[in-house]
Amino acid sequence: MIPLFPRKKELRVRQAILRGVYEENLRIIGRKRVALDRPRPFFLKKLFLSLMLTLIAVLIHGNRLTSSSVPELAGFSLLPSKTLHQPAQDPAAPADYKTLISNPDYPVSRIFGLGIKTIMIDPGHGGSDSGTSGKMGTKEKDITLDIAQRLKARLEKHGRFTVLLTRDRDVAVPLNRRVEMAIANKADLFISIHLNYLPAKPINIIETYYFGPTTDEKALKLAEQENAGSQYGPSDFKKIIANIGDTLKLQESRTFASSIQKTLYQNIRREVGNVYDFGVKRAPFVVLLGVNVPSVLAEVSCLSNREEEMKLHTESHRENISHYLEAGIFDYINKGEARYEPSRLAEKR
Amino acid sequence: MSQADSQKKGDILFVGIDLGTSRSSISASNGTREWTESFVGWPKDFISQKILGKAVLFGADALEHRLSLDLCRPLEHGVIKEGIEKSEDAVKEIIRHLIDLAKPASGQKIHAVVGVPADTLKVNKLAIRRAVTEFVQSLLVVSEPFAVAYSLDLLNNALVIDIGAGTTDFCIMHGTIPSEEDQKTILAAGDYIDDQLYSYLAEKYPNSRFNKNMVRQFKEEFSFVREIPGDMQVEIPVGGKPVMHDIKNEVKRACESILPAIVETTTEMIARFDPEFQIKIKNNIVLAGGGSLIRGLREYLQDSLKEYGPCRVTSVEDPLFAGSDGALKLALDMPSKYWEQL
Ligand SMILES: Nc1ncnc2c1ncn2[C@@H]1O[C@H](COP(=O)(O)OP(=O)(O)OP(=O)(O)O)[C@@H](O)[C@H]1O
Ligand SMILES: [Mg+2]
Ligand SMILES: [Zn+2]
Repeated sequence: MIPLFPRKKELRVRQAILRGVYEENLRIIGRKRVALDRPRPFFLKKLFLSLMLTLIAVLIHGNRLTSSSVPELAGFSLLPSKTLHQPAQDPAAPADYKTLISNPDYPVSRIFGLGIKTIMIDPGHGGSDSGTSGKMGTKEKDITLDIAQRLKARLEKHGRFTVLLTRDRDVAVPLNRRVEMAIANKADLFISIHLNYLPAKPINIIETYYFGPTTDEKALKLAEQENAGSQYGPSDFKKIIANIGDTLKLQESRTFASSIQKTLYQNIRREVGNVYDFGVKRAPFVVLLGVNVPSVLAEVSCLSNREEEMKLHTESHRENISHYLEAGIFDYINKGEARYEPSRLAEKR
Repeated sequence: MSQADSQKKGDILFVGIDLGTSRSSISASNGTREWTESFVGWPKDFISQKILGKAVLFGADALEHRLSLDLCRPLEHGVIKEGIEKSEDAVKEIIRHLIDLAKPASGQKIHAVVGVPADTLKVNKLAIRRAVTEFVQSLLVVSEPFAVAYSLDLLNNALVIDIGAGTTDFCIMHGTIPSEEDQKTILAAGDYIDDQLYSYLAEKYPNSRFNKNMVRQFKEEFSFVREIPGDMQVEIPVGGKPVMHDIKNEVKRACESILPAIVETTTEMIARFDPEFQIKIKNNIVLAGGGSLIRGLREYLQDSLKEYGPCRVTSVEDPLFAGSDGALKLALDMPSKYWEQL
């Protein structure tokens, strides 16, 4: 039914929206005086403030976006948007600049043209913690270290990154320590490398995780395995998760995860054929939680699959995996610009 | 709009344009509705130009002659590639072409509202305006899902999910112009399904010859999620001879590959609001864009969101023109005092 007389309230809403569209466009072309007297919704202000704070921190910390720009909470550093209450500020900043930094989908590092400078690679497990093992005795910790070292070498060849490892030997490094290393070294990207193990199925799968709540039983189970060696239990996570909200980091991590997953899966499928795409998922992994920059955990292969375990013993397969991870990192870095074509790259070799 | 106002507007052609990554459409106040694929091709050299007899080709025409053209899909990843003049030129050509299709009377002024993917709007506001202004007297740029919402009168308590080619755009309406927080863009969309389907088929039928274009056609003909009855057989050449291929399972897997990200993003976006508003939004979720034509998708989303309480998901009737119709409606509703400033 079409009402003959639109209700007054609806009319008002419509007028407000039309005015909003108009003001937004005025702002785009740089005539913003009309818009300035209009109160901004509270959450926008909040967002703006938190980004301004980040900006200040960026400037203080020698032009680098770092996790230490936000307060730390029980050893983790989170984006505590709820706790930010600062006086309004900086009327001097030019308008375009404001729109830019109040844009939640635009990473601060990109706005300042800093790009990605430091990449931290985290080879899963190590020392007394072997991770999973295959039927032939292959240990997750050895393979992840080898792939991480190859990836490091590849990334360094570009000459534009500082590439760091959370461990370069077979040593046990507590999960919290890995997080601290990423923070202390001001990493711009963090990637943790692991191998999967599916007891029930003889298949090979690839999946990539970023930090967040999940209802998926399998993901929870995996998180439990990978979190062994941290003193936190599920209830600790519940609290932390509740405070996270949809932060910039979360969105960027998801984008990063999909780049890694895509290049890894597509190329491995081309190489070995028989592999399943389990996609990008969320799970509460400790190593991803504290790192306040885009961070993912990639399960790059599957030790429960006999064939795959054998392949992992060949240098070429491990080199290829590191190559695809490299391509995934570039895919993420280049998102929105000329897209890095892993397929072309793989063929060129 | 008052009577006097509309008479004054007689010498102006109002147009709504939806600039999509795969298709762009125009709806005009003179009743025209047209669309073109968002491909632009320029002849590579003098000879190709002679053969083709045109300086620019569009859409299917451009694709057909791709070998002799410099082909550009300007919004391919949802954004104009900043600083790449070719993309900006291509956007210009698409706009010029669409406005030609709307057949303005000679000397008639044009007031345009252009809807662009939400991400493009965030990053390339100025570039978009630059590309369009030379063809119109007055211009407003808005995000595409917002235009869709406006076309359906969903000004309050609603969530629009526009499943396009390059991106799926989400937009929550709560009685004001949506802020950037109310909008989100993910890459799980039509192109992603095409990529998946292509690789599944390449894996299953390594000796058959097909290309991305064929795969997209298969998808558009058969797309579904969950279960539907019947076979899905297509003809693909093998060694030069057409052979029937079963593609049902692959179509299903490819279409289903975008579901988790869509459900997850929906839940995340709704979760920001207080419970009372959440309930309202969840009973007013609208699907738009070509991807909303996937059979079973609406039901799937509705069922999976029901886990957390009642929920109603509907689809727009005319996904191809919902964006440009909404943009036109905005153009017509916009008071003339606003137009004068732009
Ligand atoms: N019946 C169908 N089933 C599945 N997908 C379809 C169907 N019809 C069209 N599509 C897909 O929808 C997409 C085009 O939709 P639409 O025109 O909404 O996109 P767009 O607006 O150009 O893209 P975007 O919104 O990303 O800018 C293409 O990927 C196309 O293959
Ligand atoms: Mg669209
Ligand atoms: Zn592990």
